[in-house]
Amino acid sequence: MTRQEYLAELRLSLRTLPASDVTDICGDFEEHFAIGLSQGKTEHEISAELGDPVSVAQTYLMSEEDVTVHASPAAVNTQTASTGTQTAAAGKDLTGARLFVILFNIFITLSIAFTIFGVLISFWICSVSLLAGGIAALAALFTVSGGWQAVTVLAGIAMISFSIVSGIVNYFLCKWTFIGCKSYIKWNKKIYNEGF
Amino acid sequence: MNVQFKKGVLDLCVLSMLKGSDQYGYELANTLSEIIQISDGTVYPILRKLATDGMVTTYLQESQSGPPRKYYRLTGLGKKTLVSLQQEWLTFSKSVNQIVGGESI
Repeated sequence: MTRQEYLAELRLSLRTLPASDVTDICGDFEEHFAIGLSQGKTEHEISAELGDPVSVAQTYLMSEEDVTVHASPAAVNTQTASTGTQTAAAGKDLTGARLFVILFNIFITLSIAFTIFGVLISFWICSVSLLAGGIAALAALFTVSGGWQAVTVLAGIAMISFSIVSGIVNYFLCKWTFIGCKSYIKWNKKIYNEGF
Repeated sequence: MNVQFKKGVLDLCVLSMLKGSDQYGYELANTLSEIIQISDGTVYPILRKLATDGMVTTYLQESQSGPPRKYYRLTGLGKKTLVSLQQEWLTFSKSVNQIVGGESI
């Protein structure tokens, strides 16, 4: 295969990618040919060493799909849906698995997720209010009569400490939720693309 | 050699080869294909993926013979990933050797 033929075949097999990507990729291979030629190899030798352009292109297409998957980790459902259609595994019927993933997410996961996020948000609101309350109590220290000052100081400090402790707990709860979400998304993707 | 074997470790191989010095695609492809018998063309998709994942950056540099070359350099993330992949590979290959080598486990 000559350089022209090799690049033409590569370009053809990559046609589903954006034009700028194809130009980039072909540029790498042009460079490879040029260096090979400058070292005294023939175009045919270089083509043979590079390997079948169609399977090279296949590797690019596969890794580009990974990129689109990683690009938007937030939108679980739309993301699995869009990549899923492209990677429909050959010879395996995935309709059942996909239907399951979609319905499961709509009817079960969505409500659980709303509950969890709601709880987390209300926890944060509690922490912040405690902090505000504590600060307000300390700030109002001199507006109360002498006997109540000790009580106010104690109440203020107690509220601030509670808010700090609950803040730390909230932080870990959020972190664990995030980790849980990530593995849940991964699991979804796996089932969507590969079946059960 | 078995294609499936190679697939998983090529990233690690490429990252390892870039540890010492920046290299250009042709150089990497040639060395790698000599050592583990893959076709040269396999290296470019890997390099591109490593670049999109932020493991390597690229820059062009003129050469005395032939066209300017695209060099690949490890990023901080690439170095970190290399260390952890290396560790994983060592542990994994040791375990496999235990089984394949016929030693009792």
